[in-house]
Amino acid sequence: MKLRTCRFISVSLLMLYLLPLSTFAQEEEVMQEVQEALAAQEKIPLLAGVAVSADLCGLFMKITNSRFANMEAACRLDFKEKYFPIFELGIGDCTREGGDNNNSFSTTAPYFRVGMDYNFNKKMSGNRFFAGLRYAFTSFDFDFKNPDFVDPYWNVQHPLNISKRSNTQWMEIVVGIETKIWSIIRFGWKLRYRGRIHQSGTEMGEPWYVPGFGRNGGTAWGGTVDLAFDVGKTAKSNKQK
Amino acid sequence: MRRLSQISVFLCLLTIAACDSADCSLRNNVACTYCFYSDGESISLLDTLNVYACGTDSVLVNQEIGASSVNIPMSYWLDADTLIFEVCGEIYRLVDTVYVEKTNIPHFESPDCPTKMFHLITSVRCTHHFIEDIAITFPQINYDEVENLQIHIR
Repeated sequence: MKLRTCRFISVSLLMLYLLPLSTFAQEEEVMQEVQEALAAQEKIPLLAGVAVSADLCGLFMKITNSRFANMEAACRLDFKEKYFPIFELGIGDCTREGGDNNNSFSTTAPYFRVGMDYNFNKKMSGNRFFAGLRYAFTSFDFDFKNPDFVDPYWNVQHPLNISKRSNTQWMEIVVGIETKIWSIIRFGWKLRYRGRIHQSGTEMGEPWYVPGFGRNGGTAWGGTVDLAFDVGKTAKSNKQK
Repeated sequence: MRRLSQISVFLCLLTIAACDSADCSLRNNVACTYCFYSDGESISLLDTLNVYACGTDSVLVNQEIGASSVNIPMSYWLDADTLIFEVCGEIYRLVDTVYVEKTNIPHFESPDCPTKMFHLITSVRCTHHFIEDIAITFPQINYDEVENLQIHIR
């Protein structure tokens, strides 16, 4: 019995001495990882890459004949794997018909966005966690038609054909993730919260849809599913890796 | 990677299925509000009032008794409406014609909502059998139910 107690005490003491040592070793590992990350960060050139991307979600919406679709492509720079200035160019398309009242709304127009994403992931693993901001602008013509517009009291039927031009500006808050799939190909998604800051051409009513913004309103949610390709020097270095 | 793809597909579907409800305005009555005055004060008509739209068989106000105001719709496409105001007592019948000149402004909200016509009154005049004068107080005719015209009765 005494022998057992002695063995237990000696093992406990040994563990008590080794525990701080193992914690110290873990701390050292973490420090080493941080130092490596910092060293890797320092190795990254100022202009670390250029990429072009396309939104698959908009294409899917167009193919499936959705009521509207924002088809867009983007070009972005990569500064130090942290800052990603981006320019997005797209074309918005919408044909919407009312059910019972024969109203129809249609527009097809380009839109532009400029902004920047920030990558929160410190590890150089190919995964990126983005948060960013965009300024967006579109100028578009839209048609609102009703061939059977009836005056119920004077009993006159007269087709209604309204063609208007509207300018709309909005801001977007963007969060998203992206991962490297293979070689120069990256895949990711972005969730976008949009806030309208200006709209003109609404004397007769607001357009139902704004290219690039989506369903018109003070705010709107949207998203993109991006397939991106690294181009230029980055593409070559990625291929080598 | 697999999880990322699953999340991406889910978000893609979520974006496509994003809210698609029709937010039509609950106020959908567009009419010109005529209020009756006598000696500068608001009054209720003791007689029976009928209002007809000239050139149609529409009765816009039918056998209204004790009216202090009436809401009368306007034509969608005409530049001027001609309205017949008829006041009937027990032994008399007085008729005045009111001409309201206006511009018509189509108004739409959504393809799902009914399209309306707003108006801007530019001038108004009338005959003077029981109406002394008519004045514009608020020329915009839209969903707001405010006093648009004042009819001063003799």
